[in-house]
Amino acid sequence: MSQRIVQHPVLGSLVQGKPLHFTFNGDSYTAYEGETIAAALLASGVRTLRVHEEKGTPRGIYCNIGHCYECRVHVDGVPTVRACMTVVKDGMQVSAGTVLPTPLKKGGHTS
Amino acid sequence: MDAHQLIVCRCEEVSLAELMETAEAYPCSARELKLRTRAGMGCCGGRTCRVLVDQVIEKVTGQTPSHSVPLGYQPPVRPLSFQLMGGRNK
Amino acid sequence: MIDALIIGAGPAGLSAAIACAKQDLSVVVIDEFYRAGGRLLGQLHQEPDGTWWNGIEEALRLDREARALGVDIRCGVSVYDVSRTPGGWNVSTTAGKMETPLLLIATGASETAVPVPGWTLPGVMSIGAAQVMTNVQRVRVGERGVVIGVNILSVAIARELQLAGIQIDRMILPPASSITGNAGLPEEVMRALLRVAHLAPSPLLRWGSRFMHSHWMQSLAVRLYPSRGFPMWDIPIQLRTAALEIVGKAQVEGVRIAQITPDGQPIFGTEQLIPADFVCIAGGLSPLAELAAIAGCPFAYVPSLGGHVPIHNDQMQTALPGLFVAGNITGVESAKVAMAQGKVAGLSMAHARGALTDLSPLTDAIRDVKAVRQRATIQFHPDIDDGRALVEKLALAP
Repeated sequence: MSQRIVQHPVLGSLVQGKPLHFTFNGDSYTAYEGETIAAALLASGVRTLRVHEEKGTPRGIYCNIGHCYECRVHVDGVPTVRACMTVVKDGMQVSAGTVLPTPLKKGGHTS
Repeated sequence: MDAHQLIVCRCEEVSLAELMETAEAYPCSARELKLRTRAGMGCCGGRTCRVLVDQVIEKVTGQTPSHSVPLGYQPPVRPLSFQLMGGRNK
Repeated sequence: MIDALIIGAGPAGLSAAIACAKQDLSVVVIDEFYRAGGRLLGQLHQEPDGTWWNGIEEALRLDREARALGVDIRCGVSVYDVSRTPGGWNVSTTAGKMETPLLLIATGASETAVPVPGWTLPGVMSIGAAQVMTNVQRVRVGERGVVIGVNILSVAIARELQLAGIQIDRMILPPASSITGNAGLPEEVMRALLRVAHLAPSPLLRWGSRFMHSHWMQSLAVRLYPSRGFPMWDIPIQLRTAALEIVGKAQVEGVRIAQITPDGQPIFGTEQLIPADFVCIAGGLSPLAELAAIAGCPFAYVPSLGGHVPIHNDQMQTALPGLFVAGNITGVESAKVAMAQGKVAGLSMAHARGALTDLSPLTDAIRDVKAVRQRATIQFHPDIDDGRALVEKLALAP
């Protein structure tokens, strides 16, 4: 079920744009024209947008206005794109980052 | 509350315990605390935790904030790709 | 060549752009968000006369007026550096470098983080994030949530979430730690809430206002505060309860809470786990001054304005030639004050370009900022006037 707020007592009913299709980690999702990646995914119940590059802990939206970079994703191959500031385009391919190796963390010695 | 469980810098996952212990072991500036722990050096550039890092220093040193900004700012204030800086895809 | 570049398309930046453009200056406004409006987007509250303040409509009105005057508004552009040139300022953006003789930094404020164990879990967000998601993006942030941090901003936004049909289970304090400051102390939180007693019809405030007369009475009120809290718009506000930890495996599943003593310490044996699918963290706002800092602006530390602010005079000029500031970067206040300040900055820039034949619009606009401040229904801090006076004094110092 979509989490969109269709009726609002003060703001009125939601004017939905035309539906667009995009993928997140290979799965298909629908967004409406003008929605951000973060909003469209949350509307479909997706909260985890990436994992911490070193610890692997799950992360989602935190500030929703581009300050914190917690929602950064890869969009059509470009990394560090803020899902909260990026409007969905039809056919967009979005993916979460993965845990990255940290070979130099202990001065370059492998454990 | 267990200060080890309390993450202050979300980007680099630096805990309050790590910050307090470092600030106590090396009575230092906010800048040195940042460099020693990496708090504030992640993707957001410290926008989320800088006030908290300043507060750790205030707490440990007992200094009240002055008019100068404790933890300085350096450009770029947004993470940039090498491409934007003039690099080329090969 | 443009006359003025404005960073930030919020209430201050757009009002400044309109004021400049009316004096025939060529103006560009840039903002990294995908639409103009800044913190206006999302604001929705009832004024004392019963009318609704709808920030989205205000943002649209300013955006349309600016564009009709020929202002070039570019959204989705981030600024990463500003540096001085012999004739003005060089601004580095994700859409290339821009040169301008006059630069206005109107980057607003950012939310102050209040760390809580477990706050990196998906489903935990700042209260401002929930506001924008609910009112602008029109997506429910969850079914049932807890707000951690009780202040004027969080109470107002909790009410907005509730209007959209989202259940706020309760509002509680963050866990007291060495860096939580006053936000974890029931007495301090209560004192701050009582200052806005006129805004909300609430038994909490009627009850609390009887204790306002002395410090001793206020301490008594905190000791007597009922553990179930007092409702404000049916949202229980529990000043004697704190979050100990946000729990969940892959995302938020609940919050472990406990009753706390008047000085914020958890009371043994009162712990419980309450279910929630989202959590909002509310720590208030601080001026977002990073670009003014790298530009080399001198700063003042003024707690009543939200922290470090770039020193500026009443014409919104900084100590650096051609560099202006307006809005929440100069101190946290309402959007109406930001708009009034933006108008001053715009007219100041027009004056700097020799476009003002008569200075009276500028002096009137400066007077108007003070009048708007006096009329403000929401005062973010009781000592704002003193803070403003201090900054102006520092601006006049040689």
